[in-house]
Amino acid sequence: MVPDVNPQAFVQEKGSPDGAPRAALVAFALFALLGVVFSAVSTYDFVAHLDRQVHAITCSIVPGMGPRDAAGTSGCHAVLMSPYSSVFRSLTWGGIPIALPALGVFAFLFFRGLDLSLRRGIDRGETGFLIVAALLPVATSVIYFWISKVELGTVCTVCAGIYGASLGVLVAAIWAHIGAARGASTSSGQWPLYFLEGCALVLVPVMLYMVQKPPYPDTLTHKNELRHPEDRYGVMLKNKGTGSVPAIEVLDPLCPACKAFSQRLAASDLGRDLALQTVLFPLDKDCNWMVNESLHPGSCAVSEAVLCAGEKSSVVLEWAFAHQPELLAAGALGQDQVYALLKQEFPALGTCLGLPLVRTRLNRSLRWVVSNSLPVLTPQLFVRNRKIPDEDTDLGLDFVLARTLEGDGSTRGEVRR
Amino acid sequence: MRLDKLHFLLALGTLLGVALPATLWTRASATRLTESLNKVSDVATASAANEGYCSGNLKQILRRVLTSCGLIQGGGSRGCQPLQARQMAAMSGGDFNSLFAPLAQRAAIVQFDQDKADLDEAAMGLLEKTFADQRGASYFLVVSRASPEGSVEHNRDLSRHRADAVLEHIKGKFNDPELEQEVGLLWLGEEFAQLDQEFCQWKRSRTEGACTTADLNRSAFIAWIDCRL
Repeated sequence: MVPDVNPQAFVQEKGSPDGAPRAALVAFALFALLGVVFSAVSTYDFVAHLDRQVHAITCSIVPGMGPRDAAGTSGCHAVLMSPYSSVFRSLTWGGIPIALPALGVFAFLFFRGLDLSLRRGIDRGETGFLIVAALLPVATSVIYFWISKVELGTVCTVCAGIYGASLGVLVAAIWAHIGAARGASTSSGQWPLYFLEGCALVLVPVMLYMVQKPPYPDTLTHKNELRHPEDRYGVMLKNKGTGSVPAIEVLDPLCPACKAFSQRLAASDLGRDLALQTVLFPLDKDCNWMVNESLHPGSCAVSEAVLCAGEKSSVVLEWAFAHQPELLAAGALGQDQVYALLKQEFPALGTCLGLPLVRTRLNRSLRWVVSNSLPVLTPQLFVRNRKIPDEDTDLGLDFVLARTLEGDGSTRGEVRR
Repeated sequence: MRLDKLHFLLALGTLLGVALPATLWTRASATRLTESLNKVSDVATASAANEGYCSGNLKQILRRVLTSCGLIQGGGSRGCQPLQARQMAAMSGGDFNSLFAPLAQRAAIVQFDQDKADLDEAAMGLLEKTFADQRGASYFLVVSRASPEGSVEHNRDLSRHRADAVLEHIKGKFNDPELEQEVGLLWLGEEFAQLDQEFCQWKRSRTEGACTTADLNRSAFIAWIDCRL
């Protein structure tokens, strides 16, 4: 005898007869759309820099609201300029921004969410795919959040939006899956097709980006060589770099761009091939006659401290990088305030700071810059006495370094002659 | 789920929605890059200082001191003797001194005892401080003198020894590899461009007691010259 079973009751017990809750699918699509917006903003900011110029970037949890970061002081800027913002940097100028495939992934998730929310009777085969697909941005977000916190020491607001959207799509996918009808799934066989659609949404924009992106002008690495690279004045700090390729960086210890550049160089695999020497070039009118206004007040005093430190100059330099805001604030009040901070942190330098010998040495550092007729800006990098163009010291660093380290400094592959 | 026309329309629309902006943004960057490559950089180039006081006359004298007295050309003789100084200046002593008036904040007067060419502590301190304050200057001028007591010949030698004492102290203290190209010596003895009372207001190594013109001229006038030749 066949038991008297109410099929409707059975389905109710195991899941909705209409399939996954529409609210969950709509939520999934909305979170995916949020991810599209944030990753599009990030992609836009990255791609704008392919013109090798400086641009203000979005750094707001509500894109379009709040001021854009033009000074390069935000976490968004630090992350954008870090080696982690793109991949294949050595192969193509700037690399492929990680936000671009992210845009494709979120677009795909949005498409899936929208497609499913317009239908009825969505089964667990469909929602299971949503969960699996949502795991990709979640895993990437976890990795990038860790890199941000541990390697870069900052979190960018736009990235936080992407992390949130990733988590949102996963939660919504699980919610949809729990509410979806159980039983024989008719859609599991379509996963390969969905996978291919996802791949297309990621790969097509990436390929278009690669085809459209500007080629690197080959002429740029063939000009601006140092006229007098020799260290006649004994002012170069020789305590950085473990490689064998001679390189000279010109920097100001209180220049935020120099700090970021130094970090990028340290994080770059190619940077480890350099035998790096440093020439101090403080953009502070206290000692630098080439600037009418102090761009980084206090940097003359800090530079003296770096020179006074001798073999431990890198310790003082790293400390100065880490305390730039305090030192700049003190510098705005006067050089004595900076001396006081330096003496407090490095008491042994008290017998050297401000004395004629170190001031003369710092002056010779500036004169080295004059003898080479360098532009009045920092940072600058010279590899084998050949200048890495200033525009290539951020996103293009790995690409240009790779070409320069190949031997003759000429660029190959992605060039325009 | 049945894959129908809606599915593929949505897929195509999404693909266009992603590909189009990526293409437009990238092409816009490429266009801006092309435009920027034709622009000339407006960043200043590092250079030595060239202050407003670098008049034609001052530069001419400086150039003559540096060339005639064996500095720029690296000749063996160093320093200009009084006769040469008078010839190269081709002007009165008062006019010669007034050329240096704009250097009041950059110059100092290192004073000596009568008939002596030894630097005392204060003189060494002032010399080191002044030399360390090079900034963007390219040339360090030492103009030594003697007060009128004694013979002309003796005072020529005395002022030369005073200039040499200044140079030797700088050499020993600063170990500057470019010293030969930087320092110009001019010894005037008592014959030309004696300093008048106005220079008592300038930075001097002896600030105690009265300041007489005799005291002022037992000296070496030192200054970094912020001029490019």
